[in-house]
Amino acid sequence: MANFNLKDRVIECKIVYYGPGRGGKTTNLQYIFKAFKKQTMGEMVSINTKGDRTLFFDFLPLGLGKIRGCEVKIQLFTVPGQVKYSSTRKMVLKGVDGVVFVADSLQVRRKENLLSLRDLQQNLAEQNNSIFKIPLVLQYNKRDLARESIPLMPVELMERELNGKLKVPSFPASALKGTGVRATLQECLKLTLQHLHRELKWAR
Amino acid sequence: MGYQMADQKQIKLLVKEAELYRTQGLLEESKEKYLKVLQLIRENRQFQNNKKAISVIKGKIRGLEKDLAEIDRETEAPELSGNLQDLIKNLFSFSQDKDAAEIEGAEALAKFGQYERALTEFNRLLKKGVFPLIAAKNILRSHLALSSPDAAINQFREWLSGDLLSRQQLRNIRSFLEYVLRKKGVRATLPEVARESSQKSEDMESEGSFLDICSIRLRLVNGPCKGSVKELEVTFQSGHVISLIISAKDEDLLESFVPGIRLKGVHFFSSIAVFRADATISEYTRIKTGPRRGDYVLSITIERSDRLDIL
Ligand SMILES: Nc1nc2c(ncn2[C@@H]2O[C@H](COP(=O)(O)OP(=O)(O)OP(=O)(O)O)[C@@H](O)[C@H]2O)c(=O)[nH]1
Ligand SMILES: [Mg+2]
Repeated sequence: MANFNLKDRVIECKIVYYGPGRGGKTTNLQYIFKAFKKQTMGEMVSINTKGDRTLFFDFLPLGLGKIRGCEVKIQLFTVPGQVKYSSTRKMVLKGVDGVVFVADSLQVRRKENLLSLRDLQQNLAEQNNSIFKIPLVLQYNKRDLARESIPLMPVELMERELNGKLKVPSFPASALKGTGVRATLQECLKLTLQHLHRELKWAR
Repeated sequence: MGYQMADQKQIKLLVKEAELYRTQGLLEESKEKYLKVLQLIRENRQFQNNKKAISVIKGKIRGLEKDLAEIDRETEAPELSGNLQDLIKNLFSFSQDKDAAEIEGAEALAKFGQYERALTEFNRLLKKGVFPLIAAKNILRSHLALSSPDAAINQFREWLSGDLLSRQQLRNIRSFLEYVLRKKGVRATLPEVARESSQKSEDMESEGSFLDICSIRLRLVNGPCKGSVKELEVTFQSGHVISLIISAKDEDLLESFVPGIRLKGVHFFSSIAVFRADATISEYTRIKTGPRRGDYVLSITIERSDRLDIL
């Protein structure tokens, strides 16, 4: 839940990158950390396993400056995608205001995308939230691999399978190269702030 | 000839795929592709003699299997630095209320496997009298997570001889500890909580069982719904402590139920009588599992009172 300090006019909200293991959530944050240097308000913190899989979360604080007379601070998180870290994912998702779902375009990860999206739906429901209500954008990551002749799912197929019911904004991307990363985050921020604005009516 | 060329090309592509999946940590997927490569080589007469290629691929597969087994073994959460623990504490406490936020921060430490630090935090909170029941139960839970049931039992003994917790709370904690030990398969006889020595508080319980209360009615004296009259159903009763469920939808009701607040003239409905007495809010906790997950349990202590008016 966004923290809104009326007195100091500071609003702090939480965006979580969700998705199957190895899909590129951490790579998104790493790119943002480099590309949004001006907006970052501290180091990026990653708590990993011995390999580079996320164990607990990645965390990156951003400051967007004043929007409608309010200082806006953003906390970016990633969850660990590996199936076995289910309880950690629930923990990291607590108090979420907006979600970026990073889907893996690799054909071999087709099923994992679907399972992870369902996991997100369940975990949001457990928090009395809903995947159909929360500000959400989809990202179809690793599109750069098409050029390497690695089998990828066509965007249209991913759109049908993952976004058929949700009908939220979606972006093809390559977190590794940085394409689409900014657009994904910006859209999620826009939706999240609009949503909070409606809920909190912070601007007068 | 053309057929074999096609196979060769396919193998090249498969190896490329398998290597990419390996570098991305998609080990199962990589192994599957390498197995496919192996199968193609074996099926194809032209490659049959290519022992070297086969042994290279087999080596790759063994390497992947080793890495997969290692990942399976990674179960223990590492002990993090103090700085990271502080960060976790701050990032995962959400309540505006300072005490509730402290409890949430300590619970997060435990959730992330930082039990030693969680113990320090919960002990500090217990000493300060912050949500003592929640703090105490989490202390026991952390001991058990560190797989030291003896430490948990000793801790309980220590509380019995101290004055951090009331007898009512100790009794509650005793049944909690009994339950979690049993769940862990630990057999232990826990010391009993002595009965209250003070005559006053003895009275209510010595009447045998306290009247079974089904619901209560009260007028809210503070909070956003101040002045309104509420009727709430009792879900659990132990002597003169009753528990009520407050749905997450009515969360703003909780603002009227700050622990420690005294409620005057509450109506208690039992199957045989209605009576009026004062009561104190003991605590509320959030339900974490089951169908009522997200809702709150509110505990209220009915004051032993001479003003127990049967209406
Ligand atoms: N080619 C390519 N590789 C990518 C891209 N995004 C991520 N990767 C690679 O995919 C692997 C996994 O990326 P991570 O960002 O660690 O994935 P994650 O979603 O954080 O994974 P977990 O922490 O296990 O949930 C790494 O080897 C990345 O370099 C991309 O857009 N293109
Ligand atoms: Mg990660």
